[in-house]
Amino acid sequence: MDSQSSMDLITEDEAELYDRQIRLWGLDAQRRLRAASVLLIGLKGLGAEVAKNIILSGIKAITLMDHNPVDEEDQMSQFFVSTVAPGQNRAEASASNAQLLNPMVTVTTDTNNPAGKDDNFFKEFDVICATCCPPSLLCRLDKLCFENNIKFFAGDVYGYYGFTFSDLGTHEYLHEEVKVLKPKEGEGQSKTTEKTITSKEKIVFTRLEDELQFDWTADTPAMQKKIRQTPSTFFITRVYQEFLEVHGRRPCISSLEADTKELQNIRLQLLNKLGVPAKVIPEDFYKYGFGELSPVCAIVGGILGQEIIKAVSQKDAPLNNFFFYNGVTDDGLVDKITL
Amino acid sequence: MAATLNGVLENNLAESIIKSRLLMVGAGGIGCELLKNLVLSGFSNIEVIDLDTIDVSNLNRQFLFRKEHVGKSKAQVAKESALKFKADANIVAHHESIFSPEFGLDFFKQFTLVLNALDNRAARNHVNRMCLAADIPLVESGTAGYLGQVTVIKKKLTECYECQPKPTQKTFPGCTIRNTPSEPVHCVVWAKHLFNQLFGEDDPDQDVSPDTEDPELAAEAGQAALSTEAKKDTIGGIERKSTRSWAMETGYDAEKLFNKLFRDDIKYLLSMENLWKKRRAPQPLDFQELPGKGEAMCTGVMRDQRVWSVQECADIFAQSLAALKQDLYSKGDGGTLVWDKDDHNGMDFVCSVANIRAHIFGITLKSKFDIKSIAGNIIPAIATTNAIIAGLIVMETLKILSGNISKCKQVYLNRIPNDRKRLLLPCALDPPNPKCYVCSEKHECTVMLNTQKVTVRVLQDKILKGHLNMIAPDVEIDDGKGTIILSSEEGETEENYDKVLSVFAVGQSSRLKCDDFLQNYSLTINIVHVEKLEEEKEFEVVGDISQFHPTETTTESPVEGHTNGASKSKATEEEDDLLIVEDQVTPDLVSTGRKRPAEDQQDALLIKRKKQESNTEDNEDVIEIS
Repeated sequence: MDSQSSMDLITEDEAELYDRQIRLWGLDAQRRLRAASVLLIGLKGLGAEVAKNIILSGIKAITLMDHNPVDEEDQMSQFFVSTVAPGQNRAEASASNAQLLNPMVTVTTDTNNPAGKDDNFFKEFDVICATCCPPSLLCRLDKLCFENNIKFFAGDVYGYYGFTFSDLGTHEYLHEEVKVLKPKEGEGQSKTTEKTITSKEKIVFTRLEDELQFDWTADTPAMQKKIRQTPSTFFITRVYQEFLEVHGRRPCISSLEADTKELQNIRLQLLNKLGVPAKVIPEDFYKYGFGELSPVCAIVGGILGQEIIKAVSQKDAPLNNFFFYNGVTDDGLVDKITL
Repeated sequence: MAATLNGVLENNLAESIIKSRLLMVGAGGIGCELLKNLVLSGFSNIEVIDLDTIDVSNLNRQFLFRKEHVGKSKAQVAKESALKFKADANIVAHHESIFSPEFGLDFFKQFTLVLNALDNRAARNHVNRMCLAADIPLVESGTAGYLGQVTVIKKKLTECYECQPKPTQKTFPGCTIRNTPSEPVHCVVWAKHLFNQLFGEDDPDQDVSPDTEDPELAAEAGQAALSTEAKKDTIGGIERKSTRSWAMETGYDAEKLFNKLFRDDIKYLLSMENLWKKRRAPQPLDFQELPGKGEAMCTGVMRDQRVWSVQECADIFAQSLAALKQDLYSKGDGGTLVWDKDDHNGMDFVCSVANIRAHIFGITLKSKFDIKSIAGNIIPAIATTNAIIAGLIVMETLKILSGNISKCKQVYLNRIPNDRKRLLLPCALDPPNPKCYVCSEKHECTVMLNTQKVTVRVLQDKILKGHLNMIAPDVEIDDGKGTIILSSEEGETEENYDKVLSVFAVGQSSRLKCDDFLQNYSLTINIVHVEKLEEEKEFEVVGDISQFHPTETTTESPVEGHTNGASKSKATEEEDDLLIVEDQVTPDLVSTGRKRPAEDQQDALLIKRKKQESNTEDNEDVIEIS
């Protein structure tokens, strides 16, 4: 705890603004949040939700990074730019509305492609959260974050589906547990008292690459069981990630028919390559995967935002390491593939 | 907008979205997030109702509001901000109470469905009844800290909001507050009562003087402490006068008030020796000789975050007393103050008084920050939980609009995934409770009370409005003559208010027909006469006559603990059980007046555990938890 100097004290103004969350996670967590610089890559619907959530929470600074222009699909979930005409850079178009959420946070933009950035660029940040990135780039960023002790997050939303991924390296956090104490015998009154017990915990994360390269091919009952128990959304979102890798863009409604065909092809190829049966992804999955539904962005962005807050504040057990949301089946599941 | 982009949603759903008319009740934590999701999804006919105005402490999560909006209408500003997402959305904002008669049955009937984004039970009860009466689906929701839930209510198909009894609000016996506090909250309640005694509306239930009718004193029957004669003499007959008029006579003199409340009254309490045989006896304080006197104040740590010394408390007591006196005098003759956690002086007063009393009784002192939580009934609230819940509300809404209401679920947001990996826990919706006094065919309940003690006013204010959630009840005795004892029309039955029920021949097995025109709701109450209920209760409501067992003790309502018949597993209770966070503090603490009651029961909905749906195809996923 290096945060005891008077400069780091939360001001009365901050205490007033952040009152309702300080009552939840405490002053120390708030101080840690205020020291954190975050790089947010990808400002589509999910990115906007994450930006909103962590700017409101009172981090120190956020860099909004996106090299793409606002497009037609942004109007269904990207509330910073939903009425901006397509064409303007998405990060720049988002910045002023993002800043209005909290004047105490420094909001900057970067319109470069993250794939072309030098490693040193990324080392300036405490947290990197990457959306709209193909798996190869995610794996590179994750590795770089691990080596430089940066908390790494990834996520995307496709229609009704979404996922988040966290790699916090070796992460220490405070865990609080409320114990109910029974009254002692003979005290006459039957009231119970609650006591909060705080303990320091440690958790070690896995790299994204290891998760994605997991070998599913063993022909054993144990592996069949694992495949059954793995959320279908893991495989579904990998189809979309693969599309992004191959085509350098997401499937989009302006090329609905062609992209649908391509998604169906990728489904079969990918599952074949992984060695898992085709039935893990329903045949009609593509009907629910175009654009980003605003409520799905809110759900997945809420989870992702809270995981970033947890990581920075070192308070509470983080999710380890994927979260999958499927709005078709109502599932919201946490899983780790290499378990 | 999702509904206007071809290929995102199924055609029939997109059409339904565009055509539908939604009512969103509440524009706070969940409401701001919800309005954003709705507009972006393509809903374009939305009415928003919220009575509240924007406070600084909202801004960490209610992202449609900014600092320059503080003090303005939430509904109005939410509308203006949401129009920036879609300029041609048709949003109507009402800066009004949902209980207002303008939002009657005809108003509700114009909507396809209603979405609640509320933070208090009274409003939820009311909207529940309005939606049942109008027969339109209601999506209900609530959050508290990291936890949240969403559920769907549809007449005849699912449980309604009132099908299962909610845990009653925790109250403390008067004698605990007045004589034998043992927890900080007891001192906070007492401090708020004192505020009302000194500055607020007179409420005989909020007496702050020593209680000579403490049942624990019964053993001392005949002793001096019980005798009213002795009581009169003890402290110069102070109890005979109202605290208010006595304080006024002294000109709200801090030292005199302090010494009466914290020295003389405490000495008097000490004379009730029976109370202190098994308890630590309180120690009276004198204004001039306080612990912490002359000590330097601790600086550097925020004033609200540290625990004040007793001397500091006394100083702050004196300062806030003087300031509140000025506030009171500025209201003119007969004016009163309403306590509000966000009023600096009122909060300082309650904090200093509660801590001084805590010191006297050997109870842990607390910081103003902590006391504000207790006194203001503040439930912590964060943006992320509200965002997730608002997203889930829309997902349920989409199912309803697709014509798949039977696929709707009750969904819980958990803090950690359960042992089946679920962070979001979907549960099947339960069918209506056939004995529900709100949504069943037969609206009946049983009330146990003493007909010779309970007045018509208590029947109206505490039973019908306070407990049975009516807004403007009319009551007729089902005696063949149709005697009306209470009318919601002004001036018709006021003369009955202070008469007890037995005056109208209401006794054992009488039936009262209660009707609320606004809610389009009627209820028959079966009266069970009892001489006395435990814990000084004035009445007890039992869900259905068949559940009433005369032999049972009345400590707990017989309908409490009525679960869904699902067996409870201990393991899941410990790990997965969500906290029941609503109304966790005594109703005494709920502020009234300028702000809505329970303003800060931030979005909390009753959170109860249900059995998880087990409709997964994969057998290994079929699990039973509680």
